Amino acid sequence: MRRVEQVMGFPVSLRVDDEDVPESAADEVFAWLREVDARFSPFKADSEVCRLDRGEIARGDVSADLDEVLGLCEEYRAATGGAFDVRLPGRGLDPCAVVKGWSVQRAAELLKAAGARRFVLNAGGDVVASGGPWRVGVRHPEHADKVCTVLELTDAAVATSARYERGDHILDARTGRPATGLLSLTVVASSLTIADTTATAAFAMGADGIAWASARPGCEVFAVDAERRVLRTEGFPVAGAAPGAAA
Amino acid sequence: MKRAVPVAVLSIAGLVPVWLYEPSAATSTQITAPASTPSTSSSSGSSSTVVAGTTVDTEKGAVQVEVTFTGQKITAVKMLQQPNHPQTTAAVPKLIEETLEAQSADIDSVSGATITSEGYKESLQAALDAKGA
Repeated sequence: MRRVEQVMGFPVSLRVDDEDVPESAADEVFAWLREVDARFSPFKADSEVCRLDRGEIARGDVSADLDEVLGLCEEYRAATGGAFDVRLPGRGLDPCAVVKGWSVQRAAELLKAAGARRFVLNAGGDVVASGGPWRVGVRHPEHADKVCTVLELTDAAVATSARYERGDHILDARTGRPATGLLSLTVVASSLTIADTTATAAFAMGADGIAWASARPGCEVFAVDAERRVLRTEGFPVAGAAPGAAA
Repeated sequence: MKRAVPVAVLSIAGLVPVWLYEPSAATSTQITAPASTPSTSSSSGSSSTVVAGTTVDTEKGAVQVEVTFTGQKITAVKMLQQPNHPQTTAAVPKLIEETLEAQSADIDSVSGATITSEGYKESLQAALDAKGA
């Protein structure tokens, strides 16, 4: 089964290889992602995020889901020394960077609960792979039709942060200026919640983010710096690498 | 022993700036907290003494250690407070440096920066989706 739908402003591609998984499992995935968009979008005036930002609901009265998201935002803000912050001065609350990975990981869990064992879910470049081996390429930061490395994943999540798609949209909250120290940074972890948030937070830190992300527990990193040098962790699961190195 | 305890605690507190020192940064570490009397707790039947050191304010935040003495020996040193700073997290693993390659490989999916619907049309993922549909 293959499905592609546009949700939250980006295309979501789903491939499920298990024959016995019904189409309704995919329906459930896309319904969940649309629900997340309605509840957590900073661009929808009636979303829970906007109502919290306007003070219509108190921090203590938010839903359990939003409470979890805000907890993650705070955890990464503290861990990056303030470089990653969903509350920038002069701007509204924007937890998108955390919501994306968190909600797509939850979608992958819905698929597993529906009996899917071998699938790949790609949400705008963030990938959850299950029941591999799966070969997942990392887009080349300068050539959209090329990859700069290929991963072999069994059960893992991959997220990449870069400037080539949406320009300088990731800001270093310590300076308020766009993060420009890296061309792209990819993180592999056991869950997309961790991989996506770590990649975005590390990108906001600039060149220092490579070492920072590499030291995060359970994270493998592949980064391209502004001088086009690749720096990666030893355990980054490059396809065809020595046995034991695969995630 | 009575004097040895605060002296040892201050010595360890004095080592904190060394521990935080990084050659690239000009550190301006100041010990602002006065040397307070360490809180000593001693349980009967054991010769262990646990002493909390003074809080040392560094450029990166407050640092406080707790030292356990067994007789005259230091048997444990625990951080009570440490700065919540990226450089004080786990040790950085070794990084491998490589040259940037541009490959056209056989793949199942592509990870990349959040793609827009415009960008998707020209993306490798769109080609993979079209191929499999």
